[in-house]
Amino acid sequence: MSVQLSDELVSLLHDRETIKLLATTDESGTPHVVAKDSIHIAEDGTIHYLEHLESSRTNHNLVRAIWFDRRVSIVIIGTHQSFQIKGRPLEVHITGPLFQKHYAEVRHRLGDVDLSGVWVIEPLEVINENPEIRRQEEEKRRPFFRHLDRLAKPLKGI
Amino acid sequence: MSLALAGTLHAALSLNEIVAKYPDIPRLIIIKTDVQRRGIHYTERALSIVDPAIHQIRSPYLFGSRDGAIKPLPESLLLRDGTTIFVDPTPLEQNPYQVDLVEGRLALVDNGEVVEFVRLWEKPLYYDQKTSSGIPMSHIASARPQRLNIFQSSYCHFWAEQKGCRFCDIVNHNKQQKHELGVPVRLKPEDVSETIREALKEPGRFTNICLTAGSVLKGKDLFDHEVDYYIETLLAIGENFATKKFPSELISSAFNEKQLIRLYEQTGIMSYTSDLEVLNEEKFNWICPGKADTLGYNEWKKRLIRAVDIFGKGNVGTGLVGGVELAKPYGFGSEDEALEATFEEAESLAVNGVTTFFIVWVPRPGSDFRGQQNPSLEYFVRLASGLHQIRAKYRLSIDFNDYRRCGNHPDTDLSRLL
Ligand code: SF4
Repeated sequence: MSVQLSDELVSLLHDRETIKLLATTDESGTPHVVAKDSIHIAEDGTIHYLEHLESSRTNHNLVRAIWFDRRVSIVIIGTHQSFQIKGRPLEVHITGPLFQKHYAEVRHRLGDVDLSGVWVIEPLEVINENPEIRRQEEEKRRPFFRHLDRLAKPLKGI
Repeated sequence: MSLALAGTLHAALSLNEIVAKYPDIPRLIIIKTDVQRRGIHYTERALSIVDPAIHQIRSPYLFGSRDGAIKPLPESLLLRDGTTIFVDPTPLEQNPYQVDLVEGRLALVDNGEVVEFVRLWEKPLYYDQKTSSGIPMSHIASARPQRLNIFQSSYCHFWAEQKGCRFCDIVNHNKQQKHELGVPVRLKPEDVSETIREALKEPGRFTNICLTAGSVLKGKDLFDHEVDYYIETLLAIGENFATKKFPSELISSAFNEKQLIRLYEQTGIMSYTSDLEVLNEEKFNWICPGKADTLGYNEWKKRLIRAVDIFGKGNVGTGLVGGVELAKPYGFGSEDEALEATFEEAESLAVNGVTTFFIVWVPRPGSDFRGQQNPSLEYFVRLASGLHQIRAKYRLSIDFNDYRRCGNHPDTDLSRLL
């Protein structure tokens, strides 16, 4: 089931300084993670990723994902926040107006490069990866998961 | 009940059963294969959103459709993984898939159930232009989502001798096309050059050019005139490129070494295909009598293998009309027997660097095999999987004829990940 991205996450996705990583898996389940500048949010709330290379591992893994209903993961890292979005590829545009619009744009921006496809990824789950938030969440939900010394009374005189 | 419908009803396993039985084959490719096998029918609701200003309407093609009519219907469909479904409108009594409007989107529907959503092909900008000689450019080059097809001549000399391939309707269809649409039977190189120039003005629209025609037997050596004509057209196309070579495929008769060297050295062509149509000598002799009488099965094969030295491994292929090997009355008696024979021969070609791919046989009303039934979905899925596995085993690339640069072969769709 699709989830809506928060305003905070949307503005992080729009920020040029944000680091965006895309993780896919190959045939044997081995992860493949790469930084991808071209990940952006579309008007309908889906995430679009521009794949430049037809034969890249990421492209092959995305094809596998759309064929065999596998998930992908996108990590978004800003200065003070980070999020992980789990999603599934819904569609790839290899032709048509959306493809041609991005084809012209990337060539305008980057020079003589090619474009293989515009992948449309449906966000299924968002995890706030801010370490402090994750720690607080775990301590609330899983109170057994902590070392006792962290709870010990401070010893007098030490 | 028509023969075709009777055959469909006897199909062993349903689409969903095949999807469950072959988990390693993508469901989307199985759907494409079945849609090509059974054809489609557009509902009135679906046609209400077709806009000829945006969508590509059926343009001239070398072969006819399975309803035998030339109607202004959408050209074809795309699946969400970028797979092309190249499919004909089909009479309702043959039990095709329906293309219907569901929640504002086009969908493939079978027995009232949505199977998958689809998109229509978009019309390229050059389709609205005419050449200086006044011919609509859509009559010179027909577009696929990412490929340009040039059918330089729509006559095949095997037909003159009543020896056309039995599944083929080229001459009957092109008479109809000339009569109803005024499509020229033979293209002039200057019209082709001008059309390509116009098509290239649209950034990101095309990745490949495919040139093909019927066989021409005349010349000092057999097929010399066919070669001359291809060279002339390829040089005209090449005028538009800054590089000598450009991504392209020639589908032609089986040329001798001298002819192939001329083609490769003088033009920008990058890959070569010559169709054996069926991978068994006895069936070939029956189904392709013209090819059998002029060169014969073994010489056709030898010429393909020799072409690898000129075009390179992975750039030479042969096409099959998958399923004709089971045509009545002299085809194989069982699907297992047909697959075994086909894979054995495909492997003997692959060892020598030639790759094999197939199109789904559609018995066309203008062909000798009219009224026959094509094989089961399971047959085509096994054929696609087997040919793909042979390609993978021998590390043969299919870049010149893959899901994007062609889109008409379920087996090369599978090879997208090679
Ligand atoms: S060679 Fe056979 S399939 Fe090709 S155009 Fe001639 S008759 Fe048709």
